[in-house]
Amino acid sequence: MSKGQGRKQAILGLIMVSPSFLLLLIVVVLPIAQSFVVSLREESGGIGLGRYAYLFEDKGMRDNLIFTLRITLVSCALVLAVSYAMALYMRFSDGRLVDWIRRTYMIPLFIPGVIATYGLMNLLGNHGWLSRFLLVFGIELPRIIFDQKGIIIANLWFNIPFATMLLSSAMAGIPASVIESARDVGAGKLAIFFRVIFPLSFKTFLVALTFVFMGVIGSFTAPFLLGPNAPQMLGVSMEQIFGVFREREQAAALAFFTFLLCSALGYFYIRSMAQEEASRS
Amino acid sequence: MIRVKKGLTAVSAMTLSLAVLAGCGANNDNTNDASSPSASPSASQSASAPASGEPVEFQFYFTGSQNVKDLWDTLIPMFEKENSNVKVKPVYIPSGTGAQPTYDRILAAKQAGKGSGDIDLYEDGVNYVTLGGKDDVWQTLDASAIPNLSNIDPKTMQDVTNLAVPYRSSAVVLAYNSEKVTNPPTTLDGLLDWIKANPEKFAYNDPSTGGAGSSFVSTVLYKDLPEDAIHDSDPAIMQQWDSGFNTLKDLGKYVYGKGIYPKKNQGTLDLLQNGEVDMITAWSDMVLQQQNEGLLSKSIKMQQITPGFNGGPTYLMVNKLSDKKDAVYQFLNFVLSPEAQAVIVDKMNGFPGIELSRMSQEMQDKFKGVSEGFRTFNLGDLGTEINKRWQSDVAAQ
Repeated sequence: MSKGQGRKQAILGLIMVSPSFLLLLIVVVLPIAQSFVVSLREESGGIGLGRYAYLFEDKGMRDNLIFTLRITLVSCALVLAVSYAMALYMRFSDGRLVDWIRRTYMIPLFIPGVIATYGLMNLLGNHGWLSRFLLVFGIELPRIIFDQKGIIIANLWFNIPFATMLLSSAMAGIPASVIESARDVGAGKLAIFFRVIFPLSFKTFLVALTFVFMGVIGSFTAPFLLGPNAPQMLGVSMEQIFGVFREREQAAALAFFTFLLCSALGYFYIRSMAQEEASRS
Repeated sequence: MIRVKKGLTAVSAMTLSLAVLAGCGANNDNTNDASSPSASPSASQSASAPASGEPVEFQFYFTGSQNVKDLWDTLIPMFEKENSNVKVKPVYIPSGTGAQPTYDRILAAKQAGKGSGDIDLYEDGVNYVTLGGKDDVWQTLDASAIPNLSNIDPKTMQDVTNLAVPYRSSAVVLAYNSEKVTNPPTTLDGLLDWIKANPEKFAYNDPSTGGAGSSFVSTVLYKDLPEDAIHDSDPAIMQQWDSGFNTLKDLGKYVYGKGIYPKKNQGTLDLLQNGEVDMITAWSDMVLQQQNEGLLSKSIKMQQITPGFNGGPTYLMVNKLSDKKDAVYQFLNFVLSPEAQAVIVDKMNGFPGIELSRMSQEMQDKFKGVSEGFRTFNLGDLGTEINKRWQSDVAAQ
């Protein structure tokens, strides 16, 4: 390849990348930078990290952070466990039941969030359908709505379909021949899973984890309607600080901090991608 | 949130420029007309000269639930029938989607030196009256331009320094299930005792998400304070809230779910309807309307207490930079007339904005004892401080 041709290709590449890069710059990078600048304005007028210190010093705020992280981690673990199991089942089983699951598991994606949330409230509330049904058998339902359990259940509803979709496409990409040859050399079911299936779908697993994590940590509707008054999830708290208390700077600090939490996960994701690229070349 | 707001500002900026473009288009049409033999005045002239026979059209932005839209859909034709020289162009912004952006548009137009931004009249609660007072965007109103302004209780006008017209109001009341509660409390102390005697049977909503809850909170906070304090927005008074907040903290273990405060005014109404609680604080107009629609059972009754809960007027504000003020005043004068007020009472289940003694005897009888006793809290920015402290002291105790 001549030098001139290489340069031409490089320029073409840059041109093709620039629209998405510009979009990213305008709708993501600049607002984040702006939020960061806003968040540095101290209440007393100077510039500093006081707004961030408040996130950890204020007891209510600290509780919100811990609460959000706990909900997010629990939701991620549950969503991925259920989705992974479902994707595996759909990949390696056949029959009428699997067909039905395949056809229906995406339905929650098409139901608007607010409607689903109200549905959950009616179903799981203290005088909801489920508790009325269980009362017949003398079982009393613990409090689900206005509690963290409600938020986690809503997160499962919202995130399982998408995560399952991602994971089952990864499963579909694992060639049957690989599994069969592993079986031929005498690998057991567990060994096939841990030595073949999981490594081959790990990348998609990370993608799914990233999506679920970001979706849950920034969620608003479900925690607003289903969650307790305190502690709050960060999205709810952010809305309250911004919309009700009208403290733009504090809300910006919280938003930027949430972004940092997400980018920590993003870092691991990108690092694992880069490692894979490196090992391939 | 910031990002969303930026987006909205961008969208409203785009809408603005589109409106400007549309305006150009209209002007062009008019010049075409002017070149024809029957020369008519250009659009801009006709706007400032109603005498020429062309009606002046002004833009009226309002927000709220469907009932507010129904109200104006009735009132505006009534007004236009009697006043052929003025046309009202209503712009309805569904509740929760647009109040802030509309206000931002008014302010942005002012800051950019673009006049009224085509928003001549605006309807909203007291927060925006205060906010606009600070930003100096509302016109000061007086009875020489709007004669019917004298129908309003002068004290209410003083609360907003004549920057807005309180054209209707509703009050927060106790709503209770009359099948379970036969003898509802009529005083605040009585209510507090009732809550303790009937644990988990009372609920009020998170005060930052709706007026019914916030009214209960401020009524308790100002329980032992002097009567005038509810018109005081001086931050010095915040120290005197302590005992009130202690009462609220203490109540935490007696309210629904031992400290659950549902979101929004509707949140508690739902709990009352499905029987989880027997008594809540609620807006009178929401209760009446939902009973009319069959969403709330007829066994729900209402009771005002003494000292009364907050009653809040809804205000109409005139954009200071509007060039159609005379037309707007004409409309406001109509809204404050007893006939228009009677429609407001019918449609909104609210209380009239003008003094009850100016209404028909029939109306006076209807509201006897119900519309009395509520108080208008005007705490300015202190409302935000209450919410903040409630969140940290009461919710997160």
